[in-house]
Amino acid sequence: MKIPFFKFKEPKNKYLFIIMMLTILIMLVMLPDIFLSQVNIRSMASQFPEFGFLALAMMLAMITGGIDLSVVATANFTGVIAALILTKGPEAGMSPILAIVLAIASVIALAIPCGLINGILIAFVGVPPILATLGTQGLFLGLATVITKGLSIANFPNQFLFIGSGYLFGVPFVFILFLIGTIVVALILGRTQQGFSMYMIGSNPTVARYSGVNNSKIIIKTYVITAILAAVSSIIMISRANSMRPGYGSSYLLQAILVVVLGGADPDGGFGNIPGLLMAIVMLQVTQSGLNILAFSPFVRKFIWGFALLLVMTINFTAQQYGDYKRVKKMRQIATTTT
Amino acid sequence: MEDVFLEARNISKTFVGVKALDDVDLTIGKGEIHCLIGENGSGKSTLIKIIGGIHKADSGTIAIDGNVLSGKDAIESIRAGVQIIYQDLSLFPNLTVAENISINQMLETNQQFVNWKKVRETAKRALSEIGEDIDIDERVENLSVAKKQIIAISRALTQNAKLIIMDEATSAITSEEVKHLFTIILKLKERGIATLFVSHKLSEVFEIAENITILRDGKLLGVYPSHEVNEERLAYIMTGLNLKSEPYVYEATKFSETPLLEVKNLTKKGQYNDVSFHIKPGEIVGVIGLIGSGRTEVVESIFGIDQPDSGSIYVRGEEVAIRNPRDAMRHGIAFLPEDRLTQGLFDVQSIGNNIVITVIKNFLKRSKLLDLPKKKNCEVEWVQKLAIKTPTPKNPANSLSGGNQQRVVIAKWLATDPKVFILDGPTIGIDIGSKHTIHEIIRDLARQGMGILIISDEAQEILDNCNRGIVMSNGRIIREFSDSRTIGVDELLDIVARRVESGAGA
Amino acid sequence: MNIKRFFKRSESYVLLIIILFSAFITIINPAFLTLENLFDLLRSSSGTAILAIGVFLVLISGGVDVSCTTIAIVGQYVSVNLMIRAGIDSIWFIFGLSAFIGIVLGAINAVFVSLFKLPTLIVTLGTSSLYHGAMLEFFGTRAVNVGDLPQSVKSFGTFNVLTLPRADGTTYGLSIFFVILVALLIITYFVLKFTMVGRGIYAIGGNLEAAKRAGFNTRKTHFFIYTYAGFLAGIMGVIHLSLIRYSNPNYIVGTELGVIAAVVLGGARISGGTGTLTGTMLGVILITLLEKNLIMIGLSTYWQQFFIGVVLILGVSITYLQAKFQDGGRTIIVKDEE
Repeated sequence: MKIPFFKFKEPKNKYLFIIMMLTILIMLVMLPDIFLSQVNIRSMASQFPEFGFLALAMMLAMITGGIDLSVVATANFTGVIAALILTKGPEAGMSPILAIVLAIASVIALAIPCGLINGILIAFVGVPPILATLGTQGLFLGLATVITKGLSIANFPNQFLFIGSGYLFGVPFVFILFLIGTIVVALILGRTQQGFSMYMIGSNPTVARYSGVNNSKIIIKTYVITAILAAVSSIIMISRANSMRPGYGSSYLLQAILVVVLGGADPDGGFGNIPGLLMAIVMLQVTQSGLNILAFSPFVRKFIWGFALLLVMTINFTAQQYGDYKRVKKMRQIATTTT
Repeated sequence: MEDVFLEARNISKTFVGVKALDDVDLTIGKGEIHCLIGENGSGKSTLIKIIGGIHKADSGTIAIDGNVLSGKDAIESIRAGVQIIYQDLSLFPNLTVAENISINQMLETNQQFVNWKKVRETAKRALSEIGEDIDIDERVENLSVAKKQIIAISRALTQNAKLIIMDEATSAITSEEVKHLFTIILKLKERGIATLFVSHKLSEVFEIAENITILRDGKLLGVYPSHEVNEERLAYIMTGLNLKSEPYVYEATKFSETPLLEVKNLTKKGQYNDVSFHIKPGEIVGVIGLIGSGRTEVVESIFGIDQPDSGSIYVRGEEVAIRNPRDAMRHGIAFLPEDRLTQGLFDVQSIGNNIVITVIKNFLKRSKLLDLPKKKNCEVEWVQKLAIKTPTPKNPANSLSGGNQQRVVIAKWLATDPKVFILDGPTIGIDIGSKHTIHEIIRDLARQGMGILIISDEAQEILDNCNRGIVMSNGRIIREFSDSRTIGVDELLDIVARRVESGAGA
Repeated sequence: MNIKRFFKRSESYVLLIIILFSAFITIINPAFLTLENLFDLLRSSSGTAILAIGVFLVLISGGVDVSCTTIAIVGQYVSVNLMIRAGIDSIWFIFGLSAFIGIVLGAINAVFVSLFKLPTLIVTLGTSSLYHGAMLEFFGTRAVNVGDLPQSVKSFGTFNVLTLPRADGTTYGLSIFFVILVALLIITYFVLKFTMVGRGIYAIGGNLEAAKRAGFNTRKTHFFIYTYAGFLAGIMGVIHLSLIRYSNPNYIVGTELGVIAAVVLGGARISGGTGTLTGTMLGVILITLLEKNLIMIGLSTYWQQFFIGVVLILGVSITYLQAKFQDGGRTIIVKDEE
């Protein structure tokens, strides 16, 4: 799937693009030499992937009209297990490479039941996603806490740390991972039956059902995918931090939701796209880095995020109102007038 | 002699270049039961909203009890005694009956505090004014639509209504409940309260109206005392067409005798009982019956939305189990649901996406990825085949008129190449011109060998388009006619309505 | 209330579980069922209960408020700092200031929800980030220790309305926090049941369109809900401060999902329109019991979150399975309504 740069399929992306470029421009103006320096770009490119996977996961859930509050907890839980393998394995005499392979494999494998629990609660039991994932968030985080007794597990094999801080062809390895991840998700959303059905279910689950869509299967698959994405995120997290403790990345949850909404996804479902999400992530990362370099406190970052979200949503709202007003009135009155 | 309560003269209203109302008059006497008829798009809704003060007319005057309305807000009309009961009834499902009935009045008197004793008294009094008795402590969401309607009417009474406008009040209630509603309207009349009954169901109009005003395309066609016209004449006035079109002829010899679909003894407690019928290739079978007769429930069971408790379904002679819509689709069954907007169409999604949703699997390449050009071609193909009025399949479905939207739903099902096509109310909410086209499409499909089932409220539609039919009431089949030409509209309507009295239970 | 109606209500089930759980704990550890323990429980959970009232109001109106905890800590931290700087040692002052801050912040929420009609979950996510970031930036991150805390706050924390002696001559008592909670409950109950504003909250949650048509000033109602919720959060902030005698600007934040869980367990529906104060309080009691008493049955505190998650999942599963079967199994997966 090619990412069109100036022809945006989604009208909202046009505004987003402008805002994103503005943000970058501001940073460039304020920090002429530093911002575009190799050091800084590398730094930015290695910071956002762990968050980016969580954002991808959140977007998938929101496209189906739901939400996944348990992504960070899933990452914590699977990350803790991986951390255990990576520390206890070599201690017990396992070769580091084997430990790494095992750790990664088990993380992905564990993500599946996590996602299944969410999916089954939502699709079969009928619990609203916000509540289901609220519960599983406690469940997974709780498990992680019990296993580690609240402490962090640290010191993994050096080879493993390559994932987090290594470079491939001059590009941070995590960035490459994220690129691959984005392409995979984009393919799922735009080019598979799963993705297509997700959008439809998010628009109207009743109509989807009446059209022969297997709502339950699609929803369950959605939450399994989000869990796997969270698991990938956890690998990146632990290899960058060289440790894992339950509660790591808790601020990512809110940020993920913000970024998804900023990127144009409708919290009610049915809409959401990769280009928008990417632009929103870039915007936030750029802002964060810029503020960091300028030695603004991280709190200003928080403030700006909240502010940006509210601003963008308000703009979206007024623009939509105006556009809707004109379009709907014209078309509806031409056609029929119903109550 | 009745005095005039509401007099609307020369009402015109334009919305963004479209004239919704063009020089329309409406006169309602005190205590009169007046019906306002028109298809969707006739301007009914706009006229109501102008009377209610929600919109302001561009020109013309409305006088209530001699006083001219300024049209500035809804409160003015409410104070003049006008109450509108919208189709969705505007009730609070989470509040009690008592509170729902009393709430408007409480708001009007601008009170800050709630006197529950008074709330209950007000509610009880309003209910008794129309001779009704409902548990006022029950939560409204637990009640049937008919009971909710009664609550809405009672609520209107608490604000000294002198004219109650009921917008499409009978679309979701059973025939017995309709009768009950009519007795309430008569009681209102006894109290000097006029009713403006807005509907598109001609058969019901005659039961209750004293005078009938007909609108079409925003213009006033005429006002008729109900005893001076009948349904056929009304239909003629409304459509300008002589509705005696050629009935559909089933050429039995052209196709095989094996039924494409056969159901035997389908039963589901509380919904339908011992239903059996079949559809052969080339046939258009009609099912008629008022709401509550079980007709939609039966076909939803055939389509897999629900399951029957007992009975069997055969497709082309073989018994099948249908547990969900996918199973039904696999056996070549297509289903166009009754409620287009909540069951049939993704209104915010594109027309193209709406069309391909049923056949998305067909565009998967070996890599499990979608062949997007193939998908797009399919979309364009169907837009053309069914002459859907849109410049591009990318436009959202809600940009289309009702008739075009229905074509999208039909397209999505035709794309599955079905053998049996069940259409539940295919022409509801569609203008006359589109209705005709859709009937043509359906007939063409049958002529090519598809087996069609149409469910409808309208006797004329069934008799014109089906070669035979089934009448359902209270969950059972009460009558079948094997040749539409042998039965007349009036007779059919009698059958549909009469059986209800003897109450054949489900 | 007859038996049949009693069992239809979800609050009844919560009560049952509370009773059973309490009995279970008492068997294992008889020290549970003492007045002293009860008073202690009330003292430490009154604050959360007050927050829950605000969350409950928002939930009934059909929204989800995740900014309540942020408003609480902002109210607390800002007012305690100002109090110290200004040298004013009055409990009324800090309560007043914190409540005022809460009201202002709540009003901002109301503007976005009511005027711009934005979904409340997103709005409150944004505003919590906004408020917290602003506070940390302008007021710093230095915690206020018990040593710097004004005396009035410290005394308030230990103030008991009812004092009873222990065997060794020391005393314990019913904290004033509980009194505040009860007072607020009474006021809220009165507003909800006997004022049009209160009925408006239920009306909006039940059917927003109908509320507008009926003549409710939905803007006014929204403003009331969010400013009141902000007010409650402000009060909670000060109570929390005097309870733990420590003001860390990163505390409280993060517990909002637990409060929501408590409210939901108490029977309030996430879609709005349904729920009772009683249920909310029962939900808080249940969560508090779980949080505080796992130790008593031999499980370390690490299990806390896990068990709360399990209880929440079980609780909502039962509720929604019930609804599904009443529907005849025709419920389609419903999207969250904000």
